[in-house]
Amino acid sequence: MRNPPDRHNPFSRREFLQRCGMGMGSLGLAGLLGSPGLSNAADAANSLAARLPHFAPKAKRVIHFFLNGGPSHVDTFDPKPALAKYAGQSLPGEYLRTERKTGAAFPSPFKFQRYGQSGLEVSELFAKTAEHADDIAVIRSMYAQVPNHEPSLMLMNCGDSVQARPSVGAWVLYGLGTENQNLPGFITMCPGGYPVKDAENWQSGFLPGVYQGTFIDPQQTGKLIENIVSPHAGEAVQKRQLDLLRALNAEHQRTRIDDSRLDARIQSFELAFRMQMDATDAFDIGKEPQPIREMYGTHVHGRQTLIARRLLERGVRFVQLWHGAGQPWDHHENIEAGLRAQAGQIDQPIAALLTDLKQRGMLDETLVVWGGEFGRTPTVELGDAGKSKLGRDHNPYGFSVWMAGGGIKGGTVHGATDEFGFRAVEKRASVHDLHATILHCLGFDHEKLTYRHAGRDFRLTDVEGEVIRSVLV
Amino acid sequence: MTSPASLFSITGIVLLLTANARADEFFEKRIRPVLADRCYECHSATAKKIKGSLRVDTREGLLKGGETGPAIVPGNPEESLLITAIRYHDKELRMPPPKEELPQQLPEAEINDLVAWIKAGAMMPADSSPAAGSLRRPDAKLHWAFQPLTHPTIPATPNPDWPGNALDSFILEKLIAAGLKPSAAADKRTLIRRATFDLIGLPPAPEEVRAFIEDQSPGAFAKVVDRLLASPQYGERWARHWLDLARYSDTKGYVYGREERFFVHASSYRDWVIRAFNSDLPYDQFLLLQIAADQLAPMGSPDLAAMGFLTGGRRFLGVTHDIIDDRIDVVTRGTMALTVTCARCHDHKFDPISTRDYYSLYGVFHNAAQQLVPIGAARDAAYEKEYEVRAKKLAASMKSRREESGERLRKRLGEYLAAQFELEKYPEEGFDQLLGAADLIPASVRRWRDFLRRSDTHPIFGVWNALKKIPAADFESQAGSVLQTLSLNPLVAAAFSTPPKSMAEVAERYAGLFAGIEQQAAQADKPADPAAEALRQFLYDPLSPATVPDTEIVDNELFFPTSVCTELWALQGELDRWIIQSPAAQPHALILADREPEPNPRVFRRGSPSKPGEEVPRRFLEIAAGPNRQPFTHGSGRLEMARAIVDPANPLTARVMANRVWLYHFGTGLVRTPSDFGVRAESPSHPELLDWLAGYLIEHGWSIKSLHRLIMASAVYQQSSLEPSELSAASATADPENRLLSHFPRHRLEFEQMRDAFLAVTDELDRTVGGKPGDILSPANKRRSIYGLVDRQFLPGTFRVFDFANPDLHVAQRSETTVPQQALFFLNSGFIADRARAIAKLPGTDLERISHLYSALLQRAPTEHETAAALSFIATAEDATVPKPPESAWSYGWGEYDTIQKRIKAFSPLPYFTSDAWQGGPAWPDTQLGWAQLTAEGGHAGNDLQHAVIRRWTAPGDMTIAITGKALHEFEPGDGIRVMIVSSRQGELKSAVLHHSSAEMSVPAFEVKKGETIDFVTDYLANLNTDMFTWRPVIVASAPSISWDAKKQFTGPAMLQPLTVWEQYAQVLFLSNEFLFVD
Repeated sequence: MRNPPDRHNPFSRREFLQRCGMGMGSLGLAGLLGSPGLSNAADAANSLAARLPHFAPKAKRVIHFFLNGGPSHVDTFDPKPALAKYAGQSLPGEYLRTERKTGAAFPSPFKFQRYGQSGLEVSELFAKTAEHADDIAVIRSMYAQVPNHEPSLMLMNCGDSVQARPSVGAWVLYGLGTENQNLPGFITMCPGGYPVKDAENWQSGFLPGVYQGTFIDPQQTGKLIENIVSPHAGEAVQKRQLDLLRALNAEHQRTRIDDSRLDARIQSFELAFRMQMDATDAFDIGKEPQPIREMYGTHVHGRQTLIARRLLERGVRFVQLWHGAGQPWDHHENIEAGLRAQAGQIDQPIAALLTDLKQRGMLDETLVVWGGEFGRTPTVELGDAGKSKLGRDHNPYGFSVWMAGGGIKGGTVHGATDEFGFRAVEKRASVHDLHATILHCLGFDHEKLTYRHAGRDFRLTDVEGEVIRSVLV
Repeated sequence: MTSPASLFSITGIVLLLTANARADEFFEKRIRPVLADRCYECHSATAKKIKGSLRVDTREGLLKGGETGPAIVPGNPEESLLITAIRYHDKELRMPPPKEELPQQLPEAEINDLVAWIKAGAMMPADSSPAAGSLRRPDAKLHWAFQPLTHPTIPATPNPDWPGNALDSFILEKLIAAGLKPSAAADKRTLIRRATFDLIGLPPAPEEVRAFIEDQSPGAFAKVVDRLLASPQYGERWARHWLDLARYSDTKGYVYGREERFFVHASSYRDWVIRAFNSDLPYDQFLLLQIAADQLAPMGSPDLAAMGFLTGGRRFLGVTHDIIDDRIDVVTRGTMALTVTCARCHDHKFDPISTRDYYSLYGVFHNAAQQLVPIGAARDAAYEKEYEVRAKKLAASMKSRREESGERLRKRLGEYLAAQFELEKYPEEGFDQLLGAADLIPASVRRWRDFLRRSDTHPIFGVWNALKKIPAADFESQAGSVLQTLSLNPLVAAAFSTPPKSMAEVAERYAGLFAGIEQQAAQADKPADPAAEALRQFLYDPLSPATVPDTEIVDNELFFPTSVCTELWALQGELDRWIIQSPAAQPHALILADREPEPNPRVFRRGSPSKPGEEVPRRFLEIAAGPNRQPFTHGSGRLEMARAIVDPANPLTARVMANRVWLYHFGTGLVRTPSDFGVRAESPSHPELLDWLAGYLIEHGWSIKSLHRLIMASAVYQQSSLEPSELSAASATADPENRLLSHFPRHRLEFEQMRDAFLAVTDELDRTVGGKPGDILSPANKRRSIYGLVDRQFLPGTFRVFDFANPDLHVAQRSETTVPQQALFFLNSGFIADRARAIAKLPGTDLERISHLYSALLQRAPTEHETAAALSFIATAEDATVPKPPESAWSYGWGEYDTIQKRIKAFSPLPYFTSDAWQGGPAWPDTQLGWAQLTAEGGHAGNDLQHAVIRRWTAPGDMTIAITGKALHEFEPGDGIRVMIVSSRQGELKSAVLHHSSAEMSVPAFEVKKGETIDFVTDYLANLNTDMFTWRPVIVASAPSISWDAKKQFTGPAMLQPLTVWEQYAQVLFLSNEFLFVD
């Protein structure tokens, strides 16, 4: 894929008219107030217009549950009965260095059970989600690079631990554009404020700023999109203003017929006018029937997941749902209570989403991704005096991520960690591999979705990445 | 392989191969990258071990083949083993080989390319064989940008009327060759508007336009240009271009909580750049100071601020290699348009830049440390005194912590040596572990590692490497003889007089040797033993790994246990914050200053610091300095590097800057990739003109202003952007992108120009120069946008939406996107509405007012059409005006509910509106009003019973109303809330207590009197915990039939003062394309 056009747009108006076989008249603005069309001058000049990927995609959109802080894999999707054998004792073999010191083996306090036809093993923490076991493919052999949140968040979100690189959502939006011009194409929600690393997690990096994720805090009901509500003019006044604007711009354009940028800007006002209504509507879960709202639950995670579904339904390309400000899944101590609390908040909404997408026929075209920035140690974290903190330290050597929906072969397990869950050992999957797989589901060859920057073609997967084919249908 | 699509593409390729040049291009673009990426690792001169004896990096290698025979048969892909291998048809011969069971097969398109290439004869460019370890692309040296500047003669052109100056001859020559013509000269109003936005980033004042139109003298435009160049606003516009390149930000990006995230020095750098442009500082000096002011300007000089160019990047969580990479990038792309950082992990794939080049520069930057220094004289004695106290406190803590850590390093010397046997336990920078005082410090382990690696002849540590080279099995038998070859410090020689049995024992002996050395050297009654003194001095040598480097915390943070690091950062942060916040503070510069000279850098193989390769001297890039370049000799070599950059013989620097200046005037560079002049960059549209301009820049003392004068005096700059229709048909075919400049390219205002223009035309712009940054989106801030706070971590959405340069990256040219969010800003932001309010306050008749608005905003008179449209807008708006908008019936406040009297005790308005909610202030909870908040559909009760939140409806007349709506308290924690509906005349109408429950809050039809208030009250019941609620009352009046919906009519304060019709009209003019685009 080539870069989007730089300051001069790809099609001159003339060229555009030739392509579309349209005369001047049909570019009139009134026509635009109908359904969103793709083939008009504004879209030709619009870097967000919907585009086709490299090959027929399985998924059209993505929802990513980001359990920030590093969810423990050995307590959720990667059962390790061997830990019980060594409970309270040192694990045999070499200890891997993590951020803090850890001690004895720490068996999971949670029960695992087999679910579905596939018999996928999931812990009681995600019992509701596990009802969809046969839709889920767990990658148990993920690994990252360092045991620190910041670089690992960057790696998971942007494919590079340190340098400013575009996020997965930004790449997807760049590649596919959006199907609904009235809403941002990449929306990220996090209750209560920013996660660690702030907006870097959804940055556009060297891609144009329009591909940056739009942040919404679902706890601040009403805080939607900047400037979406006019504090100084009602709808009727704005309509009259836009009528006059149209007339003045038409006069200005009379002698400047060859500049598609003028058209694009004229039309952006019409789009904005519609956006004021559509965006408000998309975020209004009051429009959902009671049973649906109950299915998702009344917690803020229920609300944000339900909002996410409304967004996906309206053509938003990429939605990322964070668990909360800071790093709520960072269970250094008292992990049992912490995990129960955190998982208790999202198990039901995730299960509801999968049910809901399925009943709407949307699951086949929606890629659902679940995971954090790394996993946690199978050994117990030690405090200053070497005392157990009943928690787990960060573990980049092995962890789990699961996917479901468009393009994914449900009921599968890919790879494995060692006997204790410390290190990925079988069919190891890097974060680049995960990214390559996500792009593949969306119809992209990850080696070809590139952007020219600083003298070379950059891609999300840098110089690595292999599609993890065993999780694909 | 035989699908119609692939046949088609092969045909296409064959056609592509007709000419030799094309063949070369095809090879370079489509074949070599594939071979390099997928084969060279095992089959080239650069391979560690050539597998199967096959080399694919030369044609000879391919023809000769490897163990299985020739790899290619030119003209016959089906007979070529290479093709068999990449097709994966033969299970035994699959290339690239599968990895972890997964095929690594080339994509079909690449296979097709290789097939086509062999079919066409497998041609490679003649001089393309890469020598081992050197550049892959010697032929790349022939690339135009690497050739010395030429001195082109000005073409003779047949049109005596058109050329305004020499530039035009170059332009006209190409236009004529393409069968095109330039456009007519722009009218004077257009020209002055263009020039003014261009040079100072602001629109011309109406008087300036009038004066220029009236000035009939031949030098009228030159006078305008001179006036603009002399204006202090010129620097404010042109500095911003440079700040884009310098990835300017007032903050460091993400830092750990211990560190102050604001830079102390950023605005000093910004102001220095502004002054440099205003004073027309020669461009060579401009660069020298930005790269090496520490060696050119005395301490305290304001010019030290220039080094913010290097030190203004992200902190990258303190990872040295990434910080240096960022600095190399900003210097090499910024000044020479070379993408040197591509060579961090491997030789540049296309340009003649090797990893050796990269690490030569890496060494230059590694050999320097940051220093925060005050510049200019202190203006305030009290400040100065306090500054010294604080700086001393920091320095004293640093000193004692360094000594304490040094003490531990010395005591545990043996352990640090032993750690060298298990280096894998001490990861590289970026892998952060929490370290206690008892832990070995990984940074020191690595410093020992690096020290030992280059200690072959060290009189104390020479033993280490000499013995380490002996294979373990032969250790005991060979150690003795090896030791005899060394020349050693006598004490060391004595310690190793008997050969040790293993390396572990070597470490132990060193530990023993150093254990008593300090006492031994310090025995007062004896003259110091020189051998013991040498050992003692080693322990305290600043270059010794047994010390903590003597730098600011930013450069030695990794050498301390975590708690000490946090403590020192906290102290540094206190000082930084105090400087930032002191009104009397001196400006500061953050400079790089050379350290004690370090040994030469080593190439990191594949960019990994744990895999050091060959040593390289610190020296300049071969492509710019020639094959005979010499190592730098002075300190780090940074100043020498800077001088090499601005050397007039450097083919790149002047070309790159001439191209940038051209780009900022015309919107497109002569080279369209202004920060990449490498092999893959497009050729210049006018190569001779580029060289001529570069030469002009150098000959005119590197004066940027002289370049402006030259360019703006040309006819090509002064021509119209409106191409006559009889010409546009021809240029559309011959030059659709207007590279040849048959007309002037129209510009859209950049974000800063746009905001500044809004403030300028309403005469509100604050023209104060320089100083600390502020939030330019706040209504009170009317300064120029360049003084806006740039927080790279929390860049406001509005900046992004308007394509502001990403402050993390060197940005050579901004993107220009058009999205509805921009239109939302124009329509709905308070900023635009305030400008409309400011300018619409006009006296006079309707016609006078319209004319004034056109003059101020667009610097022209309205046409008849436009006047008519304006009059009609104003007339019909007045017709449509409703006496009082129904939404003003709502107000939002707080107060206490008197449960006895069933009345509100006092109603106070909530003072702050966030655009979504009414609350106590910008922060929520507010220090005064706590959590009290009302949103469109609910809110949050206040912190106590005195702070119930009250949504008030005031009856606009006597009428009958009914109330509906459900109140909901959603959450389980806490004890819930109380909700009441209270009339000012009739008392409580309804109430409920809610906890994790809801209630219908409906009141059937009842009468209200004009002015009567109905209050929807929520308070916190008994404790403050999770007291948010949802409640959206709807009031329906039966006669007249109107309804008020709390959500639909929820608005901020401005709605209480909606725009007047003239303000609405002025806003439309602000929104117009004519305002935003410059012809």
